[in-house]
Amino acid sequence: MTEIVRDQTMTPAESPVAKTGTDLRVAFGLALAALACLAPLFLGNYPLHAIIIALIFLLPAHGLNLLLGYTGLLSLAQAAFFGIGAYASALLAVHFGTPFYLNFLAAGLIAGAIALPLGIPALRLRSTSFVMCTLGFVIIGQAIAKNWISLTRGDMGLAAIPKPYFALGPASFTVSSTVGFYYLVLAIAALATLAIYLIVRSPAGRNMIAIRENETLAESVGIPTWYYKLIVFMISAAFAGLGGSLYAHYLTVVSPLTFQMYYSTTMLIIVLGGGAGTISGVIFGSLLFVGLTEALRVAPELRMIAYGFFLLALVFYFPNGFAPLIGRFWSFLERRK
Amino acid sequence: MFYTVIEQVVNGIVSGSVYAIVAVGMTMIFGVLRAINFAHGEYYMLGTFGAWFAIDYFDLPYPVAIVIGVVATALIAVVVGNLVMQRIVGAPAEAGVLATLGVALILQNTVILVFGGSYKFFSGGYIEPVTLFGFTLAEQRILIIIVGLIVFVGLELMVTYSRMGKAMRAVSQNIECCAVVGIDVRHIALWTFILGAGLAGLSGVLTAPVNVSVYGGMGELITFKTLPIIIMGGLGNVRGTFVAAMILGIAESLVATYVGLQFRDTVGFATLMLVLMWRPHGLFSAQARF
Repeated sequence: MTEIVRDQTMTPAESPVAKTGTDLRVAFGLALAALACLAPLFLGNYPLHAIIIALIFLLPAHGLNLLLGYTGLLSLAQAAFFGIGAYASALLAVHFGTPFYLNFLAAGLIAGAIALPLGIPALRLRSTSFVMCTLGFVIIGQAIAKNWISLTRGDMGLAAIPKPYFALGPASFTVSSTVGFYYLVLAIAALATLAIYLIVRSPAGRNMIAIRENETLAESVGIPTWYYKLIVFMISAAFAGLGGSLYAHYLTVVSPLTFQMYYSTTMLIIVLGGGAGTISGVIFGSLLFVGLTEALRVAPELRMIAYGFFLLALVFYFPNGFAPLIGRFWSFLERRK
Repeated sequence: MFYTVIEQVVNGIVSGSVYAIVAVGMTMIFGVLRAINFAHGEYYMLGTFGAWFAIDYFDLPYPVAIVIGVVATALIAVVVGNLVMQRIVGAPAEAGVLATLGVALILQNTVILVFGGSYKFFSGGYIEPVTLFGFTLAEQRILIIIVGLIVFVGLELMVTYSRMGKAMRAVSQNIECCAVVGIDVRHIALWTFILGAGLAGLSGVLTAPVNVSVYGGMGELITFKTLPIIIMGGLGNVRGTFVAAMILGIAESLVATYVGLQFRDTVGFATLMLVLMWRPHGLFSAQARF
C-alpha cells in the first residue's frame, strides 16, 4: 500500500483542502457535530442503532488506521483484540459486577497487554507473513473462546451482560435506552478521535509516517522503528479492545462469533473506504459502512456480496478511499466562491 | 496402541494429501502473482458444489461429477482470473489481500444465495471399506492418496519439462526480466491461476464423500488451513508445500485423537507461529522455488 498511501503524506498545512478552505471545514465540522448531538430528535430507534454500531466500529478502525494508515502495517488481528475486549469486559461484568467504566478501561488495557507478547514475534515478519500471522490470532482466539468452556461457556457464549451503569458513591445510573447509549458511544468516539488526533499530530505521529514511507531511512535517522511498531500495535489493539467492550455491553451477549474475520474485513472497509492515513476519512468510512449496511438490510448474503464488490472497487478504482472525492468536492466549492 | 497410532498417521496422510492438492495451487498462484489468494478455499467449495449439483439434480455417477466439479471451478476461475487476478500482477501486496478477500465474499455468498445456507448431503463416492495389510480404509481415502501422488508427479514433470511450466518458473523468479524477453506475464498468471483453482476444486470433489456434508461457508476453513501450509512450505515452493501439508495432516490427526478434536483446527496456525519465530521465512525458504 506504500504506493497508494503516498498521496496522503501531505500534512494538513499543505493539503489543498486546508489551504483553500479551513473556515469552510471548521464550519462543516461544527455543523456535523451539532447534527450528531441532535440526531436522536429526528432519527428513529433503528437508524440510531445502525449509527451506534458504526460508532462502536470506529474505535477499532481508528486503531487500524494508526497501524495501517500511519505506520504502514496491514493487520487482520483487529477482530482478535475486539473479541478479547468483548470477553474481558463481559467476564468482569458478569462475575464481579464492576461498573461500566472499569470494564471498559480494563478491556482496553487487557487487549493492549495481550498485544505485547503477540506483537513481538509477529512484527519480525515481512508483509505477507505478518498478515498471515495476525490472521492466526483471530483463528486461535476463536478456538480459545470456543474451548475454554469453564471460563467462556464455549459456543453458548455469555449472556445477560448488564447495560452500562455508572456508580459514584451512593449515586448510580444505568444507560438502558438506545438514545442514552447513543450519547455514551458518541462521547467515547469523540474522545477516541481526539486521542488519535493528538497522537498523529505529535512528533510520534510524524515518526510513524516516516516508518511507513521508508523504514530503513527512518531507522538510519535514529527513529527506534521496532519500538514504534510494537507500541502502535499495542495501541491499535487497545482501541479494538475498547470497541469490543462497548459492543458487548450494547448487545449484552458475546459468543465465539465475536472473533470473526467479518469484523477484520469490516475494519478494513471502514479504514480503506474512507482513506487510510486520514482521521476524517475513517469517520467518513464508518458512516459509509452504515449506509452500505442499511441499503442492503433485506438480505445478509446480498450485503456480503456487496462488501466483496466494494472491496474490489476500492482496490481497483479508489485506491485512496472515497474521502479524497470529498476533498475534490471542497476544492470545487472553493472555486465556485 | 501402536495400531491406533499407525491408523491416525494413515488418516493424517489422507488429509495431508487433500491439503497438499489445495495448497500447491495456492503456492503456485503466489509464486507467479505474488498474491496470497484468500479466496482459495472458495474454489474448493465450488468444486464440491459442482459435483453435488451434478449428482443431486442430474443423477450423474461420481466420476462424471468429478469432471463437472473441476470444469465448473475452472470456468469460474477464468472469469475471476480475467477480471481480478490479472490486475493484481505487479500491484502492492495489500491490493492482492483485499481483492481476493472481496472475491471470497462474493463467491461464498453467491453460492449461499443460490443454493441456501443449509448443509447438503453429498451422496457420491466410494465408501466401501477395504482391508490392506491388516488396516481397514475406505476406498475413497485410497483414491485421495493416489490422486495426490499423480497430481504431484504431474506438476513436477510439468514445471520441469513443459513450455508453460518453464514460463511459470521464470515468472515466479523474475517478473521484470520475463516481460523484457517477451513472455506474456498476464497470460502465464491467468493460466497458473486457473490451474491452481482447478486443483482446489478437484480436492473439494475428492474430499466430499469423506466429509459427507456440503455447505456454502466450507471454503473459509480450507483457506485458513492452507495459509499456514504455504507459509511453512516456503511461499512458491512446491515440494516444501507437499512436506508441510503432510506434516500438518498428520499433526492434526494425532492432536484430534490424543489432545482433543476441538483443537484440530488450530494446529496449523499454532505450528505456523512457532515455526515463524524460529525461521521467519518458513521451513523451506525460497531456495527451491517450484
